[in-house]
Amino acid sequence: MYTTERRPSMAERRPTIVAMSAQSVVPHLAGIEDPLPDTTPEKVDVLIVGTGMVESVLAAALSWQGSSVLHIDRNDHYGDSSATLTVDQIKKWVNSVNQGLFSGCYDNAKLYVSTSIGNHNGKYASRDFGIDLAPKVLFAKSDLLSILVRSRVHQYLEFQSLSNFHTFENDNFEKLTNTKQEIFTDQKLPLMTKRNLMKFIKFVLNWEEQPEVWKPYADTPLCDLLVEKFRLEKAQVFELMFSIGLCYNMQTKTPEALQRIRRYLSSFDVYGPFSVLYSKYGGPGELSQGFCRSAAVGGATYKLNETLTSYDPNTKMALFGDGSQVYVTEKVVASPSQAPKDSRNIPNQKYEVHRLTCVVEKSCEQWFSEGESAAVIVFPPGSLKSGNVEVVQAFILGSGSEICPGGTSVWYLSTMQQGSRAEMDLDAALEAMEASLIRESSTDLEHDDSLVQFGPNGETLINSVRLGQSFKQYVPRERIQFLLKLYYTQYTSTPPFNVVDPSFFDINNIDGNGKLIPGASDNGVLYTAMPSGEISYDEVVTAVRVLYEKIVGSDDDFFDLDFEDEDEAPMNKADYENAIEDDEDVDMNVGRHESAEFVGEMEI
Amino acid sequence: MNSSVTSIKLVLLGEAAVGKSSIVLRFVSNDFSENKEPTIGAAFLTQRVNIGEQTVKFEIWDTAGQERFASLAPMYYRNAQAALVVYDITKPQSFIKARHWVKELHEQASKGIVIALVGNKLDMIENGGERKVAKEEAEKLAEEEGLLFFETSAKSGENVNEVFLGIGEKIPIKKPGEQANEQSGLRITDDQRVDLTNSVNGPVRSAGCNC
Repeated sequence: MYTTERRPSMAERRPTIVAMSAQSVVPHLAGIEDPLPDTTPEKVDVLIVGTGMVESVLAAALSWQGSSVLHIDRNDHYGDSSATLTVDQIKKWVNSVNQGLFSGCYDNAKLYVSTSIGNHNGKYASRDFGIDLAPKVLFAKSDLLSILVRSRVHQYLEFQSLSNFHTFENDNFEKLTNTKQEIFTDQKLPLMTKRNLMKFIKFVLNWEEQPEVWKPYADTPLCDLLVEKFRLEKAQVFELMFSIGLCYNMQTKTPEALQRIRRYLSSFDVYGPFSVLYSKYGGPGELSQGFCRSAAVGGATYKLNETLTSYDPNTKMALFGDGSQVYVTEKVVASPSQAPKDSRNIPNQKYEVHRLTCVVEKSCEQWFSEGESAAVIVFPPGSLKSGNVEVVQAFILGSGSEICPGGTSVWYLSTMQQGSRAEMDLDAALEAMEASLIRESSTDLEHDDSLVQFGPNGETLINSVRLGQSFKQYVPRERIQFLLKLYYTQYTSTPPFNVVDPSFFDINNIDGNGKLIPGASDNGVLYTAMPSGEISYDEVVTAVRVLYEKIVGSDDDFFDLDFEDEDEAPMNKADYENAIEDDEDVDMNVGRHESAEFVGEMEI
Repeated sequence: MNSSVTSIKLVLLGEAAVGKSSIVLRFVSNDFSENKEPTIGAAFLTQRVNIGEQTVKFEIWDTAGQERFASLAPMYYRNAQAALVVYDITKPQSFIKARHWVKELHEQASKGIVIALVGNKLDMIENGGERKVAKEEAEKLAEEEGLLFFETSAKSGENVNEVFLGIGEKIPIKKPGEQANEQSGLRITDDQRVDLTNSVNGPVRSAGCNC
C-alpha cells in the first residue's frame, strides 16, 4: 500500500554513456528548458509547505535528485519563519502572531515603529529595511557553505565578512583576540597566559585525538578543563566559550564546547582573516529565495499565497485553500508554522528563543572592522545587571549589508533564557549597548547635567541611576533614536545547543510507528522544526539530510550535482592535490583537512 | 581578447509560452532547433557579446516558471540592469500582461534598469498566421515608458541578437578603474564581496565538504 521504495537517483537517471564515462554533465534544467503548464500539477512526488530555510534547501535537494516537487507558502513572500521582511510586512506579521495564527510557534510579539518610517511622508520607506525573523551567520567552513557552492546558489547571493566579535565584560566591549598574531602582540596579555592560550588552540584543532586531555572532563563544563588543564584566566575562558564558541551558558559540556570553538578556528582564514560571513540584503530569507529558485530551475513548481487545508494519507490527496488538490506519491513535508487547520500532529516546540530586534538611527561603525558592516557582541553569563545566567548574543548589521539605509543599523538580540526573565536580560543587554554607543560617540560630554535613558518605545527618559557609575557626570548630546523595536518569543523543538534529533521526524511518520489521529487534518505529514536559537546556520543541512533520507530512502545522492561553469577553468587533479599539500604548514588551517566542521553533525 | 568584461544582470519577464526561454536559448546557443546543452552554471545562462572595445557578459535570469503563480522572489529583480519583457504578437492577452510587467519593473527594480519590449513569434505571421498586436501599439507603449522595442522570431533567429546588442549599447559601461555608476542606482562592483569559490588557498571546488 505505502511504498518506501526509492526512486532512481540523479546519477542513475543520467544517460548510460554519460554515467559510464565519469564525465560531469550539466543536469537537465526542467524549469527552463521544458514547456511549463499553466496549472499546478495533478500529481507530485513531494509536497512541501512553507518556504523557510530547511524546506527550501530540501526542495532544491529533491528537485535536483529528480523528484517532482510542489512547494507552497501561505504568505505572499518567501521565507516563512526565516523570512526577511520589510517594515510593513513586520507589522502584518506581528498582527498575525497576536491573533494566534502561529500558536505554538510564536507569541508575545510587541512592536514599536517610529513615525520616521512610512511610505508617504516618513524619512525612510518600509522597503528600505529587510528584517530577518531568524538571523544567522555562516561559518566559512561549514556544510551549508559547501552546498551553496556546489548547487551554485551562491551565485544568486552576495556574501560579506564579519570579523569583529566583542565580549562584554566589566561594562566594556572587549574586541576578540582571535589570531595568533593578535595573541602575541596583545600588550595586555601576560606572557604565561599567551603561552597557555596557544597551547589550548593547538589542542582544540584536533582535540578528538587527545582523549587523555579531555576524557576526564567529558561530562563536566568546559571551563573546568580550561582552568585546571590549561590554566586560563576568566577573560580568556569567557572569550573562548562565548565569543569564539558562541556557547549559551557556563554549563556547556566539554565535547560540545570544543567542537564549537574549533568551528570558529578552522573557519578562520579560509576566505581571509575572518571566520564568519553573512549574506547581503538579508540572511536566511535571502538564502531561502536562492534555494527556491534553484529548485524551480530543477523543475519544482512554486505557489505563494496557498495554504494546505488537509492531507489524507490513505487517498494521498492534499487539499488546498483555493479548492485545488494534488495527489502526492511520496510525502508531505510542512513547517509547523503553516500546519493545516485542525492539525493534531505538530510536534511540541517546547524550547523558547527570546528575541529583540531594533533599528537604530546610528551607523555603529565603531563596532565594525574597517571595510565591514557587521559585528557580533556577546554578553556572557553574569555580565549584565540583570544577573543573566544565559548568554545574550547581539548580531549588528550596518547599512553596508543593504538591509537598512545609510546612518542606521539593525541590532538582533537573542537569548535562550527560558521564561519571563529573558526579556529582562534582553533589555539589560540593549541598555549596555546604548550606553556604550552614547559614550563612544559623545565627544564633549561635560557640559550637560542631565542624564538620558530610553524607554521601551524609544522615547527619552531621564534617569541618572541606570546609566551606571561611570556616566554619572556625563550627558550625551546625541541621543539614540530607535526607528523600530520588536520583541517576540519564538518556539522550537531543537534544544538550545546543537543537534537535530532524527527521531523527532518519526513522530508523525506513518511508515514508522506513527498512528492516525481521527479527525486530524495532518495525519502522515512530516513536520520540520522551527529555526532554533543557534546564531549560525549549522543545523540546517543536518535537518535537510535527515528529511531527504526519509523521503528518498538514502542520502547518497544528496546534492550530487556537477555544474560546469564556462568561466571556471577546471583544475586538474594533480594541481589540486599540490594546492592542498602546500598549506600543510599553515597551523590555523589544520581543520581544512578534516571533514566539514559543523555543530549539527551526527551519525545517522 | 578584450581586457575588460562587464557583467550585466538581465531578467526575463512575460506571460507563459510567449517564448522567453526560447529567445535566450537561441541567443546563448545560436541554435534554436537542436537540443544543445547550454553552457551554464544552473544559476543563470551566460553569453558574451563584443560591443566596440568592450566585452559584455550577460547573466540572463530565467523566471524558471516562478512567475506562473505570482511567485517571483524579490531576489529576481534585485540589481537587474536590464530586462526583457516578452509578448506574443499573435496573443493580445500577452501584450496586456507585458504592460503589467513593465509597471512591476518600475516598482520593483533598480531605477536605471534598461527595459526592452520584445514582440516574439514573427515567424508565425510570415507563415500566414494572424497578427493580433499592432506594431504601432507596441511602439507607442515603448515610447511612453522609455523602452527599447523589437519584434523577433526565436524560431528563425530573426532580430534576436539585435535585442541583446541594443541593450548592451544602452547600458552605461564601466571603464576600467571607474567607480560604479551610483547615479543610476546600479552597483556594478562591490569591494566588500567575498567570493565563495575563491578561498585564500585557491579555489574551493568541493574542498571542505564531506558530502
